[in-house]
Amino acid sequence: MDLHILDHRLRVTSISKTGLEQYTHPLIKLIFLRNRTRCKFFSLTETPENYTVVLDEEGFKELQPSEHLQVEGSTWLPLNVVSNGNASSSSQSVGVTKIAKSVIAPLAEQHVSVFMLSTYQTDFILVREKDLSVVVESLVEEFNIFREEGGESVPVHSQDACNGLQRNGREVPHATVHPVLIPENQFCVMSLDPDTLPAIATILIDVLFYSNSPREGASIDQDMECIKFFSFSMIDGYVSLVMDTEAQKQFPTDLLFTSSSGELWRMVRIGGQPLGFDECGIVAQISQPLADSDISAYYISTFSFDHALVSTRKEVSFMIHSKSKRQD
Amino acid sequence: MSSGYKPDILWSPHHADRYVICDTELSLYRIGPAGSSETKAGALPLSEETAATLLAINSDTPYMKCVAWYPKQEPECLLAVGQANGRVVLTSLGQSHNSKCKELVGKEFVPKHARQCNTLAWNPVDSNWLAAGLDKHRADFSVLIWDISSKFSPEAVPAEKVRLSGDVDSGLVVTKPLYELGQNDACLSLCWLPRDHQKLLLAGMHRNLAIFDLRNTSQKTFVNTKAIQGVTVDPHFQDRVASFFEGQVAIWDLRKFEKPVFTLTEQPKPLTKVAWCPTRMGLLATLTRDSNIIRLYDMQHTPMPFGDEVEPTIIERSVQPCSESIISSFAWHPSAQNRMVVVSPNRVMNDFTVFERISLAWSSTTALMWACGRHLYECTEDAGQGVAAAEKDIATKMRERAQSHYGHDTVQVWRNHVLAGGDDPQLRSLWYTLHYILHCSAAALQETIGPFKAYSVKVILECTTETRRCWSGSDRQTDVPWYHSEERSLALQLCGWISRGPDIDVEPFLKSLEQEGEWERAAAVALFNLDIRRAIQILNKGASAEKGDLNLNVVAMALSGYTDEKNSLWREMCSSLRLQLKKPYLCVMFAFLTSEPGAYDAVLYESRVAVRDRVAFACMFLNDAQLPRYIDKLANEMKEAGNLEGILLTGLTKDGVDLMESYVDQTGDVQTASFCMLKGSPGEVLKDPRVQCWIENYRNLLDAWRFWHKRAEFDIHRSKLDSSSKPLAQVFVSCNFCGKSISYSCSAMPHQGRGFSQYGVSGSPTKSKVTSCPGCRKPLPRCALCLMNMGTPVSSCPGTGKADEKADLTRDKKLAQFNNWFTWCHNCRHGGHAGHMLSWFRDHSECPVSACTCKCMQLDTTGNLVPSDSV
Repeated sequence: MDLHILDHRLRVTSISKTGLEQYTHPLIKLIFLRNRTRCKFFSLTETPENYTVVLDEEGFKELQPSEHLQVEGSTWLPLNVVSNGNASSSSQSVGVTKIAKSVIAPLAEQHVSVFMLSTYQTDFILVREKDLSVVVESLVEEFNIFREEGGESVPVHSQDACNGLQRNGREVPHATVHPVLIPENQFCVMSLDPDTLPAIATILIDVLFYSNSPREGASIDQDMECIKFFSFSMIDGYVSLVMDTEAQKQFPTDLLFTSSSGELWRMVRIGGQPLGFDECGIVAQISQPLADSDISAYYISTFSFDHALVSTRKEVSFMIHSKSKRQD
Repeated sequence: MSSGYKPDILWSPHHADRYVICDTELSLYRIGPAGSSETKAGALPLSEETAATLLAINSDTPYMKCVAWYPKQEPECLLAVGQANGRVVLTSLGQSHNSKCKELVGKEFVPKHARQCNTLAWNPVDSNWLAAGLDKHRADFSVLIWDISSKFSPEAVPAEKVRLSGDVDSGLVVTKPLYELGQNDACLSLCWLPRDHQKLLLAGMHRNLAIFDLRNTSQKTFVNTKAIQGVTVDPHFQDRVASFFEGQVAIWDLRKFEKPVFTLTEQPKPLTKVAWCPTRMGLLATLTRDSNIIRLYDMQHTPMPFGDEVEPTIIERSVQPCSESIISSFAWHPSAQNRMVVVSPNRVMNDFTVFERISLAWSSTTALMWACGRHLYECTEDAGQGVAAAEKDIATKMRERAQSHYGHDTVQVWRNHVLAGGDDPQLRSLWYTLHYILHCSAAALQETIGPFKAYSVKVILECTTETRRCWSGSDRQTDVPWYHSEERSLALQLCGWISRGPDIDVEPFLKSLEQEGEWERAAAVALFNLDIRRAIQILNKGASAEKGDLNLNVVAMALSGYTDEKNSLWREMCSSLRLQLKKPYLCVMFAFLTSEPGAYDAVLYESRVAVRDRVAFACMFLNDAQLPRYIDKLANEMKEAGNLEGILLTGLTKDGVDLMESYVDQTGDVQTASFCMLKGSPGEVLKDPRVQCWIENYRNLLDAWRFWHKRAEFDIHRSKLDSSSKPLAQVFVSCNFCGKSISYSCSAMPHQGRGFSQYGVSGSPTKSKVTSCPGCRKPLPRCALCLMNMGTPVSSCPGTGKADEKADLTRDKKLAQFNNWFTWCHNCRHGGHAGHMLSWFRDHSECPVSACTCKCMQLDTTGNLVPSDSV
C-alpha cells in the first residue's frame, strides 16, 4: 500500500450562519469560477451549526478575516491511501473502514489528531503539518510513503522526516465516549462532471446559501428529526456532493453521478459538545468496529462534529451497540 | 455543456474513405475526389483533390467523452461511446441495421458507480472485449472490461442461464463487467498490447503506468511516471509505447519498463493528442492545445532496443496543415501513406499528406539514389558506347584512370596525361608542366644551384630584376622589343618552348609540334620568335600534310604580305578580319602582327590559346613592369577558375594548392590532385590539410571500389614520394554492421549521426562512446567472458592477481593495454578482451562460449608457447 502526502497545505475554517452573507462572494468564486482562483482543494460542508470550509492556502486568501470566520490555527496536510492496485482486496469494504486499521488506529495510538474527509472519489486523512514526522514514523512500517511535490512523487523515509520518534506531549484521556445523534434523513453521495457545474449553479447556490429560508411542506417537527447536512467539495478537479434525499430532488437526475444501485446512507453524528481539534481517537473508535465487521462507511469531520455515514439502519444500530460496548 | 467540446476525429478501421467527427454528435463522412460525379453539391472541400460528403449523423448519445470504432470488418460501423456518467453505449452510424448490428446497437454497459469515462479501447483480437477507463471512485475499479456479447442482466444472472432461457431483451443493459482492474485510482488512458492481446496497459492518476495480464490480474508490472496520458503503442514496434504529460512525451520500451527510454523535448503548451503513424515506421505526431501546427518526430533511425550507449537520433519537424486555423484534432489515415485529416474547433476539415523527407545518397561509383516515402529512385550513368569520355562522371573517369595506372609514371611524367585518356587538355597541360618543373628542378639539383625549388613561372620571375634588350634578329628587320634574361629563359623552359641549357633555340619545339600536327600553334610559336619565314613554311607543310587544311596556304599567303607600314591596307584588313578566324593561334598571329609594340592584349588575353604559350609570349614581349602584373593577374584568374594550366604559374606551392582546391571543388577529381601534389615538396605542400584530405579521400575511394591493389600501389607510390608519411595501418578491426574500421585515429573528424547526414539536417551529432562503432554507432561485439561490449576496459581478473603483483610497473601498464585488445578465434570467431582470453585459455582449450565446441587453443600454433620473459 502506498500513502501519498498530497501537495496541498490546508486550513480548516468555520463560517457562522449569521456571517454567511459576508462570504458568499468568495465562496461562489471558489466553487464556480475555477479558472479565477488557484485553489485546488476546496470543501464546504453545511451543518446546522455553521459552515465548515476546508481549503488550501490559495483559497484561504479569498476569505477576509472577520468575527464570523473561525480558523483552526494549524496547517493541515491531506494524506491519501492508494492501494496501488496489486492487492485486488477481497473485501468490498471501502473508505474509512479500509484504512481504519492501517492508518487511523496507529495515528490514534500516537495521539495524532486527524480530520477526515470522505468524498465520492476517495478518503482524505488530514493531519497537522507539525505532526507529520510522527505520522511518517508510525506509518512507515505499513506503507510506502510518498510526498507529492510539483507533480512528482518523492519517496519519504522516516529518517528524512524526523530524528527518532517524537511523541505528542499531549496526554489525552483515551476512552472519552461522545454522545451520538442519528437523524432520520437519508443521504446520498454523488459526483458531477465539473464541466456541467454551470448547469446546476442556481440550484447549488439555492441549496447552499438559502437553505434556512422556509420551504414549503417542510414541517417544524420534521426538522427536529432531520439534520441539515450538505457537503460540496472540489479537489483536484473532482467534484463530490453529499446531500440528503430532499436536497437531491432539486437536482436534475441526469447530471449527477451516483451508484447504479442508488444506495442511500444513514448518518451518525458524533459529539454532543463541539469536539475541538485536539482530541484524538474519535475516528478510530468509530471505524475500528466497522472494520472488524467489514462495513463500508463514509466519514466527514466538520469544525464542530464528526459525521459517519453507513448504509443501513442495521449498521447504525451495530455501530451504536459496539460503541456502547466499548463504553463498558 | 455542448459548447465546450472540441471535435475529435476517427478513421474507419476498414473503409479507407470514411471517418467520423465527434463533438456533441457523431457525423460520418465519406472522403472522395473533389469535383467527381460521385460527390454531390454539398460536399465539403478538404484539399485541392479531395472533398468530404456527410453520410449520416447520430445524436443519440449525449455527454460523449470518448469514442472507439469496432475493429472488425463486420458489423462495419459499430461505435462504442463513453459518456460523462461512465456508461458505455454501443451505437451505429449510417447503417441499415442488419441483424448482427441490431443486436448490439443500443446496448449499454453501466458501472456500479457513475463517473466520467475517460477512454475506451477494443481488444484487437478478441473483439468482444471492450476496455473502459473511468475516473476514480473510492469503492470501485477504474478499468472495466466489458464483453459486448454478454447477456448479463442487471441482476447479474450467470450468462449460461440467460442463454438457456433465451431472454435477449434483458441483455440491453449490462452491469457486470468481465474484468475489473485498478482500484482506488482513475484511469486516464489505456491500450491493449498487440503482442499479447490478454495484456492491457493502463495509465492511472497516481502517476503510474501498469501492465495487467488478464489471465492473472493480481500480477502486474508498473512504473511511476508523470506521463500517464494518451498511452499508445507503436503499430510498427509493438514494444514501443508513447505517453505524455502536459508538454512532454515519453517513449517507453516495454521490455525495459523501468523508465522511459527517452523523452522528447518539452513543448510550452500542454499536449492534446499523440499518435503513431500507422503507415510509416517510427513517426509520431503530436498536437498541443490551441496550436496550428502538428509536430512530427521521426524515430526511424532510433535503434530498438535502445541502449544507454548513445543519444537517440530523432528528427523533429513541424507541419502546418491549414494555414490560419488552429487544430482541434487530427487522425492518421489507416492505409494511405502519411495522410491525415485535421479538424479545427469549428469543424473545418482538412485532408493533408505529410511529405516524406527525401533521403539522398551517392554511391562510390556513379549511381545516385534517393528515397521518398516508399519510392526508391536510382540515377545511374548511361553506360552506352555513345557517351563521350568528356561527359562521363568523374567517378567513372577516376576508376578508368586508376585501372590504367594513371599518375604512376614517375619517369616520363608527361605521359600520365596519356594514361588519363589523353583527351583532357587541362590534364595534358598539367602533366607537361609537372614534367618540365621536375626536369628543371632535377637539373638545378645536379648543378647544385640550390635546394629543390617549387619551380613556377611566378616564383622565377619574382627573383628577376635584370632585363636586357637583346637581339631582334631574323632575316627581317623589326623594331619589336624583345626581352631576355636568365630567368625569362628559365620560364620559357618551363613553358616547354626551349630546352635546357644556354641554347634558346625553339626549333626542336617547333619540330615536335609539327610532328603532332599542331601546325597553327607551331606557326604561331615561330612567328613569336620573329621568324615569319619559318611560320609560313610550317603552314605550307600543314596544308600539304595528310588531312591537312588547305586554308593554311591562304593564311600563309596572308602572312607573307606582312608589312610594318602603320597605315597599310594589309594591316587594316588583317586586324578586322582576324576576328573571323576560327583557329585561335591563327587569330593571335595576326593580332601580334597588327599590335603596337608593348600592347599585346589581344594575344595575352585570348583564352583559347594555351596558357603556356601566352606566358612564354609574355616572357618575350612584356617589359619588367608589365610582366609580373600580367603573371599575377593570370595566376589569379586560373586560381579562381580552377584551371590546371595555371599550375605552370603557381607551381606546386601554396598557390598551387589553392588552385587545385578550386579545381577539386569543381570536378571532384581528388585523384589528379593527390598525384599532382605528391610531386610537390613534402615540407610545404604535403602537410597542407587539404592535400592530406584529398589523399585520404582518394584512398577511401579506392577502398570503396575494392581496388585494394591499386590502393596498395598508391600507398607505395606515396611513401616513395613523401618520405615523411608513415606506413599506414593495413589491418583493422572492422565493425560488423558498417564494415568500417573501428579505430578512431584514422578519422579525426567527428562523426555525425548517420540518420542526420543523409537528410542534411544539422541536428545534434550523436556522441559515440568507446563501446560503439564510430562509424555507425552500433555497439561493438561483447567479450565472451565478461559479456561487456568491447571497448570497455578490462576489469582486473582475479586469477592473475598474484602474478601481476610481482611484475614491475612498466610491464604492468603494457599488459593492461594489451588486455583491452580484441582477440578472436579465426575458426569459431568467438573472442573478447585479450586479457580475459589469455586467462581463460590458461586453464581451458575449448572456446569460452557455451555450446561452442571449438578447440580454439589447439588450433593456435603459438598458443602453447610461453613467452621467454614470463618464467
